[in-house]
Amino acid sequence: MRISIRTAACILVLLSGGIAQTVTSRIVSAANAFLSTLDQKQRQMALFAFNDEQQRARWSNFPTSFVRRGGLNMGQLSPAQRSAALALVSSALSRRGFEKVQQIMEADEVLKNSENNNPIFGKDLYYISILGTPSEKDPWMLQFGGHHLALNITIAGEHGVLTPTLTGAQPALYTRNGAIVRPLAQESDKAMALLNSLDDGQRKQAILSYRLADLVLGPGKDGKTIQPEGLKASGMNKKQRAMLLDVISEWAGVVHESAAAARMAELKADIDETWFAWSGPTTVAPGTNITAYYRIQGPHLVIEYAPQRLGGDPAMHVHTMYRDPTNDYGRKYFAK
Amino acid sequence: MKSCLAAAAIFVLACTPADGRRLDEYLQGAIISVEKSRVQAQMTLTPGVAVLPIVIEGIDADADGVISEAEQRAYAARVLRDVSLSVDRRPLKLQVRSVRFPRMEEMKDGRGEIEIKFEADLPAGGPDRRLAFENHHYSRIAAYQVNCLVPRDPDIRIVAQTRNYEQSMYELEYVQANASPGPLRLTWWSGGRGWLGTAALILLARLAFVWGQRARAASGIRGLRS
Repeated sequence: MRISIRTAACILVLLSGGIAQTVTSRIVSAANAFLSTLDQKQRQMALFAFNDEQQRARWSNFPTSFVRRGGLNMGQLSPAQRSAALALVSSALSRRGFEKVQQIMEADEVLKNSENNNPIFGKDLYYISILGTPSEKDPWMLQFGGHHLALNITIAGEHGVLTPTLTGAQPALYTRNGAIVRPLAQESDKAMALLNSLDDGQRKQAILSYRLADLVLGPGKDGKTIQPEGLKASGMNKKQRAMLLDVISEWAGVVHESAAAARMAELKADIDETWFAWSGPTTVAPGTNITAYYRIQGPHLVIEYAPQRLGGDPAMHVHTMYRDPTNDYGRKYFAK
Repeated sequence: MKSCLAAAAIFVLACTPADGRRLDEYLQGAIISVEKSRVQAQMTLTPGVAVLPIVIEGIDADADGVISEAEQRAYAARVLRDVSLSVDRRPLKLQVRSVRFPRMEEMKDGRGEIEIKFEADLPAGGPDRRLAFENHHYSRIAAYQVNCLVPRDPDIRIVAQTRNYEQSMYELEYVQANASPGPLRLTWWSGGRGWLGTAALILLARLAFVWGQRARAASGIRGLRS
């Protein structure tokens, strides 16, 4: 499926006459290719003004029947339109990032099936919208999301900004074609490995003495920077700092490779000022997700991983948040 | 209240919370912002679907299924009675800045967030300050969270945050450069212990008056005797 969509992306780009010189031009071509498949009414539904702040902030972890999203959902599209939509999303993401997105959507389909085809779940209920006009120079925005997913991708010239983005999964572990799938496995496993690498003194600083029930800076909490807590990475050794960066890459690496490289360089430069805090159980059953909350916070970064008690086993229901308090929605590239 | 709790318990057993709605907790997040002369806080309260009957009972006083503006204000006042904020052990007077209620349908879905913003003036103090916040609102069903924002004022630096496990008690230590402790009498008169000082002054004045009267009476007697 992944290969076919990426192949479709290439074909659509070629059909649209674009010669892919840069990543941005490829994304713009994919956006125009998608828009060209829509009729007038669908275009009106998919397109928003770039300065539409309501639409910009219209994302959530909730199912779309609880919190309405703007744009067109996958169920409203023909197979060709749907392929073009996913090809656009794919063009803005890394291979690993797009795979994660597909696994999150697949989890919602599993949830739908386990709930007697509950119509509030499923792969059809993921919405795509574009704010502004796809351009290689001027800023514009691609949104894609639904239950447990909110990608807010701002393209500004060669810059690609993925913050704020919410990922999550329920079930956070399922079987597909006989194989176990954990959409947020690396976020869980790498953080657990980092915690296990800490010595007693470091753990004492990293492990918070209080319970965290949910995300602190989830949907609706734009523009807030809380005081960091936990263990500062300046107190980690070189290997641990590399492990911390590797955890961070699970979010920073969702966007396409060149934007991810620039973002990782920024976060690497900040690493000594980056904090790691953990709350909850410090062990995990092999092959499952952690049931602890953790937060990584730096001058340009907030990551939260919050298992949810709501659906029974917290290891099976996870919400995560990825922010840049200095540049959510890529504002530094267009704010006056 | 008992019937509400029983109904909530049955609801918890009956419902299948696969849709990510908050269920059997009343999530209460507080974000505190400190400035030199005042402290502001934003509370976001999200009742889970199973505990909603308990919470609604405390909001919809006339049980008409509609949360009126008066009921919103009354509820905000109640929340503020259940929380406390103090600085350097001096209780602060909290004032509601704004209240925003979600639609009833949103609350029934477990995604309705009640937002209460409040603030308090901070009395002048020294460079080292200690702010304490306590939340005991619906403690039996609450899931508390409390954090502070990075201060915008570069003169203010957070030193430490401490909480109990439930986050119902929170203490924030911070230092402020260029602090103006203010005239001594101002500090002395302000705060919760001001009345003690006033009482001591009155007592001293009264004693001085009595001693003065006695001295005058004694000298009068001596004059009569002489």
